[in-house]
Amino acid sequence: MTRPRGGHDRLLLPRYVVATADCRAEHVGEVGGKAAGLGSLLRAGQRVPGSFVIAASAFAEYVQSRAAGPGGAASQQRQAAGEEVRRSIERSYAALGGRHGADIPVAVRSSATIEDSADASCAGQFMTFLGARGADEVIGKVEECWISAFAPHLESYRSQRGIAEAGQSVAVIVQELVDARVSGVMFTQHPRTADRSLVVIESSYGLGEAVVGGEVSPDLFEVNKITGQVTQRSLGSKAAEHRLPTDGRLVQRRPVEAARREAWSITDEEIAALLAMATELESALGRGLDVEWAIGTVESDGPGESLFALQVRPITAEPAHRARGAAPAGSGIDLILGRLSGRILDGGAP
Amino acid sequence: MAPDRGTFRNPYHVEAPPGAEGWESMYPSYLLFGPEMRDRDEQKLWFFDQMHNPEPVYPFDLMMPESWLVSLNQYTTRVWNLPTALGIEQRIVNGYLYLSPNVIDDPAMIAEREPVFQQRARHYFENWDEIYDNWVTKATDCIDRLKSIRFEPLAEREPAETVLSARGTTTAFDLLTRYSRLLENMHEMAYYHFEMLNLAYGAYLTFLEFCRSHFPAITDDLVARMVAGIEVILYRPDAELRRLAARAVELGVGDAIKAPGEPAAVISELRRSPAGLQWLQELDQVKDPWFYYSTGAGYCHANRAWIDDLRPPFAALRDYVSRVERNEVLSRPLEGLRRERERLSQGYRGLLDDHEATAFDNLLALVRQVFPFVENHNFYVEHWHHSIFFNKARDLGAVIVAGGLLDRDDDIFYLHRYEVYSLLYEMEARWAVGVPTRGEVTWRELIARRRQMYAALEAWRPPAALGVPPDKVTEPITVTLFGINTDTINRWLAAESRDSADNEFRGLAASPGVAEGIARVVRQVDELSLLVDGEILVCPLTAPSWSIVFARIAAAVSDGGGIMSHAAIVSREYQLPAVVATGLGTEIVRTGDRLRVDGDTGVVTILARASDPAGQAGHADRADQQAAAAAAGQQAGAAAAAGQQAGAAADTAGTST
Repeated sequence: MTRPRGGHDRLLLPRYVVATADCRAEHVGEVGGKAAGLGSLLRAGQRVPGSFVIAASAFAEYVQSRAAGPGGAASQQRQAAGEEVRRSIERSYAALGGRHGADIPVAVRSSATIEDSADASCAGQFMTFLGARGADEVIGKVEECWISAFAPHLESYRSQRGIAEAGQSVAVIVQELVDARVSGVMFTQHPRTADRSLVVIESSYGLGEAVVGGEVSPDLFEVNKITGQVTQRSLGSKAAEHRLPTDGRLVQRRPVEAARREAWSITDEEIAALLAMATELESALGRGLDVEWAIGTVESDGPGESLFALQVRPITAEPAHRARGAAPAGSGIDLILGRLSGRILDGGAP
Repeated sequence: MAPDRGTFRNPYHVEAPPGAEGWESMYPSYLLFGPEMRDRDEQKLWFFDQMHNPEPVYPFDLMMPESWLVSLNQYTTRVWNLPTALGIEQRIVNGYLYLSPNVIDDPAMIAEREPVFQQRARHYFENWDEIYDNWVTKATDCIDRLKSIRFEPLAEREPAETVLSARGTTTAFDLLTRYSRLLENMHEMAYYHFEMLNLAYGAYLTFLEFCRSHFPAITDDLVARMVAGIEVILYRPDAELRRLAARAVELGVGDAIKAPGEPAAVISELRRSPAGLQWLQELDQVKDPWFYYSTGAGYCHANRAWIDDLRPPFAALRDYVSRVERNEVLSRPLEGLRRERERLSQGYRGLLDDHEATAFDNLLALVRQVFPFVENHNFYVEHWHHSIFFNKARDLGAVIVAGGLLDRDDDIFYLHRYEVYSLLYEMEARWAVGVPTRGEVTWRELIARRRQMYAALEAWRPPAALGVPPDKVTEPITVTLFGINTDTINRWLAAESRDSADNEFRGLAASPGVAEGIARVVRQVDELSLLVDGEILVCPLTAPSWSIVFARIAAAVSDGGGIMSHAAIVSREYQLPAVVATGLGTEIVRTGDRLRVDGDTGVVTILARASDPAGQAGHADRADQQAAAAAAGQQAGAAAAAGQQAGAAADTAGTST
């Protein structure tokens, strides 16, 4: 029994565990938005930490096996399916370790299968565990993800309404943890003015949680996409960082010492590499992206640092000039005569 | 008008500097603030035109602003009927030229003017290339006729030729008619000056605004680089020097050119060898027209052209010869510039949606078509024509000296052009009657008094603006050429009320990059000789003929100038950071201050004051090095090395505190 069940799946994936590179936007119902984002980063040729996705069908199996309770033929069938999920995760986790083969540290995150992740009903559903190590711990964290998604809906479950039918489902991503020296967020156009010629980069020390969670004030850079020049810089306080200890367990939050707080967290070369990433992503995925990134090492690949893309999603803000009306039409002469007659082009204020 | 925005000093409250009382007598009443128009005039914005006239305007040189006052404004108001603007007014305040744009905001008047404007301007845009070709013919013809005007002293006796040819009129009559032709010729060129310029600036402004509305962060500099021409006549004089430097090395006369001394001495040394004679011949071939290249903006007789003062081109030649000897490639990388221009414009275009990209293409194509006029008119008008014009006026000055009414050739520049008429008439009358007149005393007294007043006016520092700023500045010439927009006004207002402890001021980001170095405040062209390699030039305004300086400075900061001003264009050409239109840069910065110039953001930061230990130490080192370099024979290479060492020393001094 390798086929997932569940009423709403448009796509039948071959396994409970899916290769991230196969996760596409049309599979969101099965693998979740985050996994689809990671898949698009891989297909766009970006360096992404190794990962696999435990599809929503596995969650469905898990829910059903809990529903079946102990004993009986149905229960045995469910447990067999649960074993299958478990073995798939073990195999995929071992493969992540690559040639090093060791029990590498991973992040375990839920990946929402519902489009509107801000929906109140999903609150508490999206969990992230940083620094799980070893197959048993990873499976334990996957289960915690499931439980956290499952818990708010215990009532509806008890009233025998299937989780899948209720439209509540969750996929889980297991991804090798980057020991990030520095990380942050990048917007491939200005988030406020929608200026497409700018890339805006926020960066701070350690794992991205500090920036994404708004925990620290990061360094801020605005870079011109066409000239590559950094047109604005402002130094953030970068008071704290989350780092992976040498034993790879339990990410720790620690204060950043003064000298590093007062220095830029990324070099001009690193800014240039981020700019290249922004350009590549826009040409592969379209304009207006919000990208999470990190610079650091992964255990499966030894001590050398790399720039990793961690997540991508579209920015929704409309460019200011388009919000004010259509672009002008006509020959160059028409446009110029119009302007000199006092008409303002395309909402641009003189 | 927003009441909380603040105003500039009331122009009616500006007092004459000590020693310049009565300066108004040097200027015609229609250019002075008077009681009749006070209610109106004190409610307007008047900005200082430091771009064209950074110095007090000499009464004779007022011919230039007065010529553009009528020609530029006739085109705006009466010829094109620009729907949204009337002309730009002028006033003289303590000798300095102030301007005030006028907008039309009455919708009925705009609607009434628009069809006329559309029809007329369209004709020029649609036939641009042909009209521009004709323009070049008209302009060069005007210059040829100017050249042919000759002023010769009145001889003791009328030449016999007058009698033998039975011509009837005399050489004294010629003097007056030729003077009239000189003035008419200036007026004529002023019309050509603005025949196409207003429209070209309007086209540029439209493209600039289009870019800004789609890319709010785009700098004026990037827009200019998408438009800028590659083979621009304005760069020809410098290109000729580079070529001549390479020729000098080929001919083996590089050392003679690098030898210290005045150009006259260098030339007489060159004359001693056949190779030197050959090189001099090649030099003479390019002088006309390429050495008609003013060291200023072309609006002041005191800024001589290269052809009249060979020191600037020879200083540049020395530097270029050294660079050729070091195997540097001096020619401009035209292919690279072309690629860069395409990379930028295609880069921005690629970020637009399809329908926007079409508008971008249409505008850029038209702006690139009209822009060579903007770039090239400068050489034809301000450099070539104006330099000859001032030389003719100087010739006339010499004729007046010979006629016994003045002492020096350049006394004439202290007289308004209509006063010169009066003087010429008196001179003709003296010559006719054959006895002295009281003018030989009164004209001399007048000049002596005016020289005193002028010196007092020169010492006065004109504020960037006077009067009451409007809500926003939109008049195309004001915005494009003078770089004055709502932001500029706000910066100036901020600068006026700035705290003296403030160590930062802003201008327009005109050329990208960031540089740090020691400031050299240069108010007059002759102070350029004090400049040490690697310094940051801080000046009221730069002119393109300061090219020798641009090859040596780390960055440029100017009080005036827009994105299309000379300083901005040349800085981009030399890839130097430049901030223009700071308003008060030369007031805030002192020579010896350590500055950071950010050409990307337009911010100039004073890192250390010259009086601070750090700044002073750095500067003293420089002075020593400069003296040492001078003693060592002022080889360009040695001077450059000294500059670098001094820069390093200054850096060390700066970081040790």
